[in-house]
Amino acid sequence: MQILDKLTSSNKSERRVRKKFEEVKGLSITSLLDELTIILVFLVKNISTEVVKISAEPKITYPHTITNDKLLEKAGTTPIKIFPDRVVVGAEALEYGSPAELATDAKKRQDLLTYLQMEANDIIQHQKAETCLLVQADYSIPCDYITEIVRAATAAGYSYIYFATLEDADWLKKYSAGLAE
Amino acid sequence: MGHYRPSAMRQQKAQTVPQEPNLIPIMNLFLTIIPMLMMMVVISQIALLALNFSQGEGGVSYGQGGGGGGAQTEKVEIHILGNQYAQENNTTIGMEIREAGFKPMIIPALNGYYDYVTLNKTLQEIRSRKETLSDITVLVHPDVLYGDLMKTIDLCKVNGFTQVHYTASKVEYY
Repeated sequence: MQILDKLTSSNKSERRVRKKFEEVKGLSITSLLDELTIILVFLVKNISTEVVKISAEPKITYPHTITNDKLLEKAGTTPIKIFPDRVVVGAEALEYGSPAELATDAKKRQDLLTYLQMEANDIIQHQKAETCLLVQADYSIPCDYITEIVRAATAAGYSYIYFATLEDADWLKKYSAGLAE
Repeated sequence: MGHYRPSAMRQQKAQTVPQEPNLIPIMNLFLTIIPMLMMMVVISQIALLALNFSQGEGGVSYGQGGGGGGAQTEKVEIHILGNQYAQENNTTIGMEIREAGFKPMIIPALNGYYDYVTLNKTLQEIRSRKETLSDITVLVHPDVLYGDLMKTIDLCKVNGFTQVHYTASKVEYY
């Protein structure tokens, strides 16, 4: 009888413990998922494939401009990045050399022209689009090097040349204030 | 244990509490995709400044005249003078505005910095005089910084000179 009592009492206590744990429910993440879905749709809508080519380089200090021209919709773009110490050409990010070589080395200039001609022909023949060169250069690059690139690009047959900047509608005001100080 | 008919057994099964779908893989996917896309959104904030070389002469020209645009009837030129030019000509760096029928106007740099405020005012004045003019030539010296060139072109575009011709003061290679 005593044993039976013990058994019943132990069973009762076990039941009580179970009830306690059963009340705890799992964390509901449905609302979070809804929010994430909305963000995902928004981000996907706002990102075009062209953006991949116009990736901002943290090592480049972009100049600020008020103007922001739209990239042509039907355009084949060749990016060229001019860092203070090196030049990277094309979507494949080919190492070209130093910016100074653009002005001093005739062979390097010819190599650039050949590459750009090849790219321009590829855009015209295969993509059947307008040829665009996208120059992403550091603020401190002398224009001599930019001129060489623009000249090579136009000689290679590029119709449009875009310069990457950072949009800032107030740069003139800030500049004016800086000069006054 | 009670006994149920086959139909009742089926009913019992149907009445069990529906299981929540396993959302963890979807969450993992979202947590990977969303930061990546957000990084790309930051990238897309880059602005672009376009020069059109598809019409007319095209290319970069040297000395007088412009590259990248059609024929010009009323010429307005902005010469961005660099340090080298200033030393050679015993003057200070700055900008020179050349307009047909007017004396060249010099905008000297202030404390070594180009005076974009005066340039902007000058361009506004030219715009008020020549409302239909859309062509302007920017002649740049080799040692002028790329940032200064962009700012000058930007001010031209802001003031309605949409056809900016890029010109350099150097000998040509190609």
